[in-house]
Amino acid sequence: MSAFLLENVKFRFESDLVLDIDRVEAPAGAVTLLTGANGSGKTTLLRVMAGLLAPEAGLVAYKGAPVLFGKAGLGHRRRVSLLAQDPWLFRGSVLQNVSYGPRARGMNALRANKRAEEALLRTRCESLARRDAAKLSGGEKKRAALARALAAGAETLLLDEPVSHVDEENSALIAGIIEELAASGVTLVVSAHALEWAASLPVRRVRLAYGRTA
Amino acid sequence: MEYLLEGFADGLMRALQADPQVMRAAWVTVKIGFAATILASFLGLPAGFLLATARFRGRGLAITLLQTSLGLPTVVIGLLAYGFLSRRGPLGFADLLFTPSAIVIGLVVLAIPLVAVFSMTSVASVDERARETALTLGASGRLAAWTVLREARFGLAAAVLAAFGRVSSEVGIAMMLGGNVEGYTRTLTTAIALESMKGEFGFGIALGAVLLAIILAANLLSRFIQRL
Repeated sequence: MSAFLLENVKFRFESDLVLDIDRVEAPAGAVTLLTGANGSGKTTLLRVMAGLLAPEAGLVAYKGAPVLFGKAGLGHRRRVSLLAQDPWLFRGSVLQNVSYGPRARGMNALRANKRAEEALLRTRCESLARRDAAKLSGGEKKRAALARALAAGAETLLLDEPVSHVDEENSALIAGIIEELAASGVTLVVSAHALEWAASLPVRRVRLAYGRTA
Repeated sequence: MEYLLEGFADGLMRALQADPQVMRAAWVTVKIGFAATILASFLGLPAGFLLATARFRGRGLAITLLQTSLGLPTVVIGLLAYGFLSRRGPLGFADLLFTPSAIVIGLVVLAIPLVAVFSMTSVASVDERARETALTLGASGRLAAWTVLREARFGLAAAVLAAFGRVSSEVGIAMMLGGNVEGYTRTLTTAIALESMKGEFGFGIALGAVLLAIILAANLLSRFIQRL
């Protein structure tokens, strides 16, 4: 079964057509790897899938139902979470950041913190819980943001260049976490232009060039 | 030079001894200052947020008008408010002239553009990723907007604080609309103006020191709140 199905999707930034997808499918419970050079449309495609950008034409469906955008898209945004290439961490501690998703879903502080601590453990970030999010290194920031996306409880994760701009150690850690997530059946759509870290993953590849599937 | 030093010493003594006249003026200042700041924030903060985040027809004009009104002379605000509140004015029936409420009205008009412009700048400077991150973590539109406000909280606190400092140190509006009635509408600034004209330099210094202490206390309170 497909988690995502996109057909004839077009997205324009000002007057430029930056996405012109014939068909892209991302199976549920598997890893789909979006590849392509910088500027090929990977980030835009992920943001469309996340429900953040509404395409001007085409079908974006998630688990058989069309994705809704704007206010009506809250349900979709609670099932699918996007980890941005350069993730934004809110002011406050790492724990406050990671518990944001559960709290946004109405969980009380105690349960939200428990969920956040579990996610931090899963991303080997437990020692960062009390740290000021503004003082993390690039790699720590990515791991904390990954923990935050996991804690949000989304069934599908969209990861935009999860290992870019991080050192080797953090890159290996993140790759390991992605492997664990894949093994546990989480649906993942991952964009990357360097692929060494994903060599051992059983993935379905989708190559983009100039906003089109190549 | 000697009279200046004597004035400072006298002022310090009066401030430390909690001179009743100084304390009454201080209380009126705090009361009016807080009321005007709260009302101006209630109107100015949402206006600033809206101008920073929404795109609508007339937005540019609204921003230009607000920015222009930052430079509006306080006596002009006082004069216009006087015209509205005087017996023959459209709001004369309320009989508010020469009451603390009249001063609050004038000060709210003075502070709204300041709160709105500062908060607009502060919200606009929050990275767009903050809102998107909130949305993709399952926040509703309202919670995402609240998250952006939280991200801008230092700037918003600065806007409110600047408004409090501005209304507390204002003299023209307070003089014109309050009438400088001792214990009722006499603020620290109108008292300073009156006492210095009478040659009571030391008294003026004492009043000034208390005014500074109030603004300092508001700053410390703001810093404390920002840490919560």
